[in-house]
Amino acid sequence: MAADTSKPFFPAAPQAALVPSGRKPSRLSPESSYWRSFRTSELAPRNEFNVTHLAFSPARSTPTLAASWSTSVLLFSGDPLSPLPRISVSNDVAYCPSFRSDGALLAVGDKKGIVRVFRADKVSSGPLRTLTAHSAETRVVRYPVAGGDKVHLFTAGNDALLAYWDVPSETPVFTVPAAHRDYIRAGSPSPADNNIFATGSYDHSVKLWDARSGKTPSLSFTHGESVESVLFLPSGGLLATAGGNVIKIWDVIGGGRLVHSVESHVKTVMALALAKMTNTGETRLLSAGSDGYVKSFDYGQLKLTHSMRYPMELLSLACSPCGTVLVAGSSKGVIFMGRRKKKPADEDEEEGKGVGGEFDWAPPKPAKPPLTPANYRYFIRGQNAKPKEGDFVIAKPKKVKFAEHDKLLRKFRHKDALVSALAKKNPKNVVAVMEELVARRKLVRCIGNLGIEEIGLLLEFLQRNATLPRYARFLMGVANKVLEMLADDIRSDEKLRGCIKNLKRMIAEEVQIQRTLQGIQGMILPMLALASK
Amino acid sequence: MITGGQSFVSAPPAFSADGRLLLVCTGRTVSVFSASTGMLVSELGGHEGDVTAVVVPPPPADAPAVAKVVSYCWTAGLDGVLICWDYVAAELVRKVQVGLPVHYMVIPNITRTSKGADVYARFAFVSVEDTSKPSKEGKALRGQMRIYDLTRGCQVGNLLAETRKPEKIVVSSSGEFLGITNKRKLHVWSVPVKDFKAENVRKIKLHHTKILNTLAFHPSERTVAGGDVTGRILIWRGFGNAKFSVSDGAKSKVDEDRDGVRGNSDADTCTTWHWHSGGVKFLKFSSDGAYLFSGGMEGVIVVWQLDTGKRRYKPRLGSPLLSFVDSPDSSISCVSCVNNQVHLLKMPNMEIMRSIAGIKLPISSPDLGGCYRDVYGFDYANRLVAVATEDYCIQFYDLFENSEISEVQVCERNFQPVDDITMYISLVSLSIDGNLMCTVDVKLPEEELGGLVTLKFWNQGSRAGKYFLSTVIYEPHSDAKISAIAFRPGKNMAATSSFGGNFKVWVQSTLSQPSDEKNQSGWRCQSVGSYKNKPLTAATFSTDGSVLAVAAESVITLWDPDNNALVGVIAEALSPITKLSFVGTSTFLMSLSQSSKPQVAVWNVPNLSMQWSYSLFAEAACCSSSRSEFAILALLSCPDGGTPAEQDGVILLFDAENPKPVSSWSVKKAKGGSIAFLKGDSSLVANTKDMIDGEASLLVYVNGSHEYVIFDPRNEELHIGKSARKNVQTEEPAPIGYASIYGELPKLESKKEVPEIPFTPSERPWETIFSGSSHVLPPLTKLCSAFLSSLLEKRPVANE
Repeated sequence: MAADTSKPFFPAAPQAALVPSGRKPSRLSPESSYWRSFRTSELAPRNEFNVTHLAFSPARSTPTLAASWSTSVLLFSGDPLSPLPRISVSNDVAYCPSFRSDGALLAVGDKKGIVRVFRADKVSSGPLRTLTAHSAETRVVRYPVAGGDKVHLFTAGNDALLAYWDVPSETPVFTVPAAHRDYIRAGSPSPADNNIFATGSYDHSVKLWDARSGKTPSLSFTHGESVESVLFLPSGGLLATAGGNVIKIWDVIGGGRLVHSVESHVKTVMALALAKMTNTGETRLLSAGSDGYVKSFDYGQLKLTHSMRYPMELLSLACSPCGTVLVAGSSKGVIFMGRRKKKPADEDEEEGKGVGGEFDWAPPKPAKPPLTPANYRYFIRGQNAKPKEGDFVIAKPKKVKFAEHDKLLRKFRHKDALVSALAKKNPKNVVAVMEELVARRKLVRCIGNLGIEEIGLLLEFLQRNATLPRYARFLMGVANKVLEMLADDIRSDEKLRGCIKNLKRMIAEEVQIQRTLQGIQGMILPMLALASK
Repeated sequence: MITGGQSFVSAPPAFSADGRLLLVCTGRTVSVFSASTGMLVSELGGHEGDVTAVVVPPPPADAPAVAKVVSYCWTAGLDGVLICWDYVAAELVRKVQVGLPVHYMVIPNITRTSKGADVYARFAFVSVEDTSKPSKEGKALRGQMRIYDLTRGCQVGNLLAETRKPEKIVVSSSGEFLGITNKRKLHVWSVPVKDFKAENVRKIKLHHTKILNTLAFHPSERTVAGGDVTGRILIWRGFGNAKFSVSDGAKSKVDEDRDGVRGNSDADTCTTWHWHSGGVKFLKFSSDGAYLFSGGMEGVIVVWQLDTGKRRYKPRLGSPLLSFVDSPDSSISCVSCVNNQVHLLKMPNMEIMRSIAGIKLPISSPDLGGCYRDVYGFDYANRLVAVATEDYCIQFYDLFENSEISEVQVCERNFQPVDDITMYISLVSLSIDGNLMCTVDVKLPEEELGGLVTLKFWNQGSRAGKYFLSTVIYEPHSDAKISAIAFRPGKNMAATSSFGGNFKVWVQSTLSQPSDEKNQSGWRCQSVGSYKNKPLTAATFSTDGSVLAVAAESVITLWDPDNNALVGVIAEALSPITKLSFVGTSTFLMSLSQSSKPQVAVWNVPNLSMQWSYSLFAEAACCSSSRSEFAILALLSCPDGGTPAEQDGVILLFDAENPKPVSSWSVKKAKGGSIAFLKGDSSLVANTKDMIDGEASLLVYVNGSHEYVIFDPRNEELHIGKSARKNVQTEEPAPIGYASIYGELPKLESKKEVPEIPFTPSERPWETIFSGSSHVLPPLTKLCSAFLSSLLEKRPVANE
């Protein structure tokens, strides 16, 4: 109640500028329009089972989806996806279906910890192999993807055991008991090397394993929350981990350095997946959260590009290798399937890049849209173009820059020209202006018209330059003329008298120098006369 | 004898009827130039006095076809003769005697009725000078306007007007109005165009408050423009409505308010425009009457839009303007400048197409006074004269070809015609082979401030008359002026003497770098000499270059130029010597004194004694380089005071040993003139007997207004004719008028004769396939295959 009393009784209307305007952004970004072009439908009916895992077969021919659904695995195939006969795996809840890299085998874990391997095309024929090592539910069953490795499989489960299997012989290559200190719920094989895989656990830690070195993790770092999903990005150097509502991207080559952290969901991020955009060929990291959102993250530019809302809590996410189908599994047993409408224009594009299947290492730069006159750059295009070697460059004629005194001389403002030249203090220019004034018969009148401060400038200039041999003959005459004409002005002003004192001192110095020189000349002359005889 | 250097601008030129030739008055002849190339085509010579007017009468309106063939012009001269020429053939057609010097002439396009029909007749309105009246009295009316009937060759009517001096007559393009300026009035006559009778000429006066210079008539309206000495342009519109109009209805206008019209002048309105700061020299309406061209002292053609008074300019013509003439089809116009140049302007945009350049006139400025003497340099080998021009250039003029070779800009300053002179070229000297040039330019000080003497050495470029700057020496003799420059023959050495009491010997330092194409050699001072601190007034080298003679006022000192040692001193002359020269290869030295006690003296150098002397004022002198003879140009009257006579100078040719002149010629306008020996043209004198000395030299005399004559001083016969005139290629007649825009029209044959239809089978069947009347021919579709097959037959024949 106290909070209520502090509020104003009649709240004033909020300022119009602060109210968010109701209108939507007028134009969608191309990314958004891409994601919006997926038409969502439901694949499986609503029930009480969680769709914990979804997996697409890496086989290129037709998209084949496996979904863990209660005690069985649902299989869908074709475009659009149509259900195949479902596999009843065991009596317990099935987890984590995983296709082999050629799509021929499918491995599924269950609540008891038994992992079964089926033929993907003949699931009804029963399991080919049964791998038993785990004592609790195996939430991580993964085939390696790189290097065409067909014989190995790694599994991890709630018993914190990590096992690396040789599938044909049904024996583990090695097992790591207590690989984590809590449930292992996430795992991902590296796309760069078939021996490397990562696991994430509820003990907040993410560990990188190398099958060659075996029992000890080659890298371990802490995500900070219970890790629900880990995923290698296509380069194999970056690892995305999801835990809590945070997605973190790690540089595993650089020793587990955190590259970026995204906190875009409001509830726990449950699944990560990679999606290839068919229109541009770029790859996006998709994340599904229990808040019902799927968010698209551009890991090249490290920014969130789009978010899609689903009506239910999402637990799993997958995207078909060709990028046209996006499926999300919910906690209520519904599988949402988004299918991109095929446009005829997209067809050949998909031929070019979309059907590539495997995710690219680095996203290609999007082609720049052609400039149109709606764009300012359209009008300045080509202006900064640099000449190539061998091009004949026609230089722009240089604009002649006139100094200020030149401009004034053109306007016949003679005194201003002289003052401007004096103020610039370049003796060459001043003498040139004075000579020009002599040629115009205006120098004496100019000197007569100078104000007190300008006389000071002129006297200062004369003091500095009158004895320079180059200008002496001319400037001495000017100095005499100035003294003769402006004697009264100079007497009346204190400052000018100082200038005259300086001038006098300078003259005295010059006379002294001349005397010395004459003395030297007197000494040298007899010697020269002797030498010439 | 070759004469040349005439003024091209003494009278306005005239275009021929087709606009392709330009007739320019040049002295006693009329030169015909091609308007497209600017080259001399022919000369019309027959006047005894200077030609003062050339008129190409407009073709008679009723006979346009004949005008293409007929190419007549009338000229008038100071000898009192009007001559009709066929200027294409350069033949004299007829003469009309006037008897008094004619100064201006116009021939309006008027007809006369005789025997009931319009007969084409020429009437010349001439402005003559009445020489019977004494010229001393200022009030005497010496100018007269007369009318001459050119077909009959006699005067008609009375005097139209009498003025103080002969006035320039202006005629409107229709020939209806004539006008002259008379002090502050314009006199305008209305001439009956048809049925001309001298009694029917009526006259009005238009008054102004300033002395009028020039006038122009509008081509279609009754408008006259007058320009006065202060630069104002007055435009009287509707002049003579009261008096000239036939009906008396115009009388009512007298009571109306007449804008700006002064006194009882007979005009509707008078407007004044003012842009020119000096006097207006010419006015001219464009042929469509929309624009008025004016020009004057400033060297700018101003184009006035007549309705609005807006101006456009054609600036930077470089010299005061004198006259403006446009061609009959108004595509070309020409403007004459004071500096003896005629510019041909392409008309709508006034771009200079060609310039016809004569020798430039001497600088005429009163404020230079005595300190300035006219500057000449003569190129002995290439027979060029170098004259200093007003715009700080040196013009090289070929004396034999009578054409400008080049101009060399000496001072870095733009020339403005209206400025007073602050800078001038005081000396020009060329070495005897013409390879080197030395100039001295003087910047005049302002109240003793900022004067500067600059000595510049130039090297010859690719050909004669092209020089490039080698060395600039500021204040070579501190601030003293330079009195003389002498080049040492055979060596790259020069000596300058100054009034400041010393002379300097300059040598070209040979710092030629092999890497550089150009010879980077500069000039430097080798030695300095002085004699008793006297001002040195003249210097010269002997012909072999071993002795340098320097005049120290009235004493001549002889120096060894290499060691800078005083060799000898020759006893004093009467007054300061202004020019020294060794006489050829002989041992004599000639000196001139040009002060109040003038003297021409010849000194014997080995004896250090005077040979002989005259007390003559010599304007100039020159010595032959090979023989022991020299020529002086003596002024007969004293330069200070005394009236200049007609023949005011005499050229005397002396042999150095003998005080008796070898020969003498009397000349005009000797003041400011000069003489020089030039290398004879060996090709011209090869067949004469004058080859004994191996080298015949000619004497050139340039008078005060830069006209010149070249003659052989030893042969009285005038056997050197003009050098074989360059054959002027007859140019392709350029299309004018309609043809210049749209090309030639195909000649339309009036009646096509239908030829007999040949049915004889020939070797070439395609000729016969289509021949025949159209009603007999089979349809074209059938003929086509036959025609094509006939073409096919031809191919194998051609291939074999």
